[in-house]
Amino acid sequence: MTGYIARRIGYSLVSLFLLSLTIFLFVRLTGDPTTLLVEPGASQADVDAVRERFGLDRPLWVQYASFMASLAQGDFGQSFYYRTPVLELYLSRLPNSLLLALAAMGFSLLIGIPSGILAAVRVGGFWDRTGKVFSLLGLSLPSFWVGLVLILFFSVYLEWLPSSGSGTALHLIMPAFALGWYFAAAHMRLTRSSMLEVLGSEYIKLARLKGLPESLVIAKHAFKNALIPVLTLAGINLVIMINVAVVVETVFAWPGIGRLLYEGVTFRDFPVVQAVVLLCGAMIVVVNLLIDILYAVIDPRIRLER
Amino acid sequence: MAAVQVGSRPTLSPISGRPNSRPGISPIGSICGWLLAVATLALITGGPGVAGAAKPEGQLTWAVHISLAPTWFDPAEHPGIITPYMVLYALHDAIAKDMPGKTMAPSLAESWTASEDGLTYEFVLRKGAKFHNGEPVTAEDVKYSYERYRGVAAKTLKDHVAAVETPDPQRVRFKLKQAWPDFLTFYASATGAGWIVPKKYVEQVGEEGFKKAPIGAGPYKFVSFTPGQELVLEAFEEYWRKTPSVKRLVFRVIPDEATRLAALKRGEVDIAYSIRGELAEELQRTRGLSLMPVVIQASFWLYFPDQWDPKSPWHDQRVRLAADLAIDHKTINQALTLGHSRLTNSIIPDIFDFYWQPPAPAYDPAKAKQLLAEAGYPKGFDAGEYYCDVSYANLAEATLNNLQAVGIRAKLRPLERAAFFKGYAEKSFKNIIQGASGAFGNAATRIESFVAKGGAYVYGSYPDLDALFQQQGTQLDAKQREATLHKIQQIVHDRTIYAPLWQLAFLNGAGPRVGESGLGLIGGHAYSAPYEDVTLASK
Repeated sequence: MTGYIARRIGYSLVSLFLLSLTIFLFVRLTGDPTTLLVEPGASQADVDAVRERFGLDRPLWVQYASFMASLAQGDFGQSFYYRTPVLELYLSRLPNSLLLALAAMGFSLLIGIPSGILAAVRVGGFWDRTGKVFSLLGLSLPSFWVGLVLILFFSVYLEWLPSSGSGTALHLIMPAFALGWYFAAAHMRLTRSSMLEVLGSEYIKLARLKGLPESLVIAKHAFKNALIPVLTLAGINLVIMINVAVVVETVFAWPGIGRLLYEGVTFRDFPVVQAVVLLCGAMIVVVNLLIDILYAVIDPRIRLER
Repeated sequence: MAAVQVGSRPTLSPISGRPNSRPGISPIGSICGWLLAVATLALITGGPGVAGAAKPEGQLTWAVHISLAPTWFDPAEHPGIITPYMVLYALHDAIAKDMPGKTMAPSLAESWTASEDGLTYEFVLRKGAKFHNGEPVTAEDVKYSYERYRGVAAKTLKDHVAAVETPDPQRVRFKLKQAWPDFLTFYASATGAGWIVPKKYVEQVGEEGFKKAPIGAGPYKFVSFTPGQELVLEAFEEYWRKTPSVKRLVFRVIPDEATRLAALKRGEVDIAYSIRGELAEELQRTRGLSLMPVVIQASFWLYFPDQWDPKSPWHDQRVRLAADLAIDHKTINQALTLGHSRLTNSIIPDIFDFYWQPPAPAYDPAKAKQLLAEAGYPKGFDAGEYYCDVSYANLAEATLNNLQAVGIRAKLRPLERAAFFKGYAEKSFKNIIQGASGAFGNAATRIESFVAKGGAYVYGSYPDLDALFQQQGTQLDAKQREATLHKIQQIVHDRTIYAPLWQLAFLNGAGPRVGESGLGLIGGHAYSAPYEDVTLASK
């Protein structure tokens, strides 16, 4: 078991190293940040001064080595735009993103799981058809459009909710719905297919043959087992919601990490983009690592694999 | 002071003494009389200043289109772009700054003189000007702010200045290494070096501490800043020019344009920056809201980088002129900025010093076709690629349609902003470039970057223009220098080196609670300013 965990941690570190290299190089392919940090028409001396200040005048490998050396000490560098430590910026936005992500996740699970179960229990029935329409809309409508329609209806027309910003529970409702809808649709589809698979299994047939009431069969025997893949997906989705709710956070002026990433991309703020992507990657890697370990605990065949 | 508080009407401007009340409504008549009397009293008792001024009241909220950065709280970090002025005009004050009706208006310096040899500039500081912590603004602060400055053009400034002397607390003397006609432009206009910070306080709290709790000599004091969310400021009642009328200013960051408009409609904010296109039309149609266009110092143009290549069609001036004549500036302006952009026909903003006004742009597609035929292209020609910053692809599409209508067929190549300016500066583009600049300075600084040999965005130059440019750099007599710079601009126009498009209008919206928005008071300034002139509407 120890060897298995060590191997998994090793793979995780390799993944993070590759991610750091990829994001470091890719973000630099997108253009020169100095052109955005000074006004077009600024003198070459000013452009050079900005490059020197942010270390962009050094060879790429020197920049990467310096980045990794700082990273090893937990320093993600300074934001070009804000001129403050990136980790400080990230941590200041994290509570807002966690709040939004948890609210959106709660909404998506609350809608997605029951509707997925209903759709699986009555295949082809009213709930199944309604659920298909719901999931089709949830997966296909762009979230910026959903966000703007919500603002126009609930904020401008009905005047019930504030149009944007943060600070009160009312501010949270629309962004949580706009962000959660997409994931609710995804959770609903997965719950449905997972339930259908479980409901067709031998032990469910046995439970029914034993004469257990259908509600007990679904709630106790089928649902529990069908929930495992849904919760695994929800875990990864939560990380995505925390880190890359770019569109929803921008439309609703929600001061989270997604918007920080948007600002980072807009201003070519390399340290910000690198930090957000790496921390998001680290979260996903950690979640996957934990899942791998849990699987190995549950299933001995996995930990014996080479 | 207390006598000026008339109910909740913060509408009296102590400087102008102009009461903001409507005539003909008798119950208000007596109040008007009161206000007029108080206004007269304010003028008699010193005009500018805090004596007799009304207490600031109420709150105005701005929806800002861009994230506010703490570096904007510190003039030493000035990056040379327009946006930091949104905060600088509130928190800080400068030796001289652009004000309504006057560029480089005396502010913390009440006057200055230049020696005849152009080597010494002496500034006399205003008595009574204070920082928010009550400390007076002194010559030491001015010297310290200059020495601490590390923003745009810091090297250029410091390369020219030999020494800064403070003969007494009210006087500062700059000694230059050699005569530099643009010293004032760089010190008091194009950089943040002339914006004054309190030496003692900065030394006490340190650089980071200053960004977290800035103190300045401007009309508003720092209250709080939540990154990515909002900046809150409060009126500084001892501001030397006048007591601000509005007690509290809030700048809320709302990056999405449609959301900004929704917040304005709902009354969550009072002024919304940057509402464009169809949304601007909707704003105009909405009862209670006003469209507030501001023409800023950002000029747009077409540049023909191949004009120095004898094999290129663009080498022939008739072709360049045909392109210029093909552009229907008025229609494009109406369609994209509701007619509010300014058609100056120059690459230099009309508010800049030494600006030369060319003839108005002409739209004559028939003559354009004729010129093309004379140049050997009766059926037009394939002009290759038309490069632009994708943020202004709508302007490029409209212009390109005009060019194609006369036979100049080009393919649009919109590039993401950073990539576009990188390619432009690295001289890797060909055919047609849709360029723009909002950089500060004067006509000479724009010519340096975009016309003269060696400029950051210059693909080729003309020896006579280069000689004239060198010449103006040594002319200390302003009139002579102006004549030379006018001549350069005239040649640029006559040779159609550029086909200017417009000077962009920045479209904003204001809600019903706003009296004076401050938008457009200062020529070329994009945002509300001066903030001490901003008022709430009369109730």
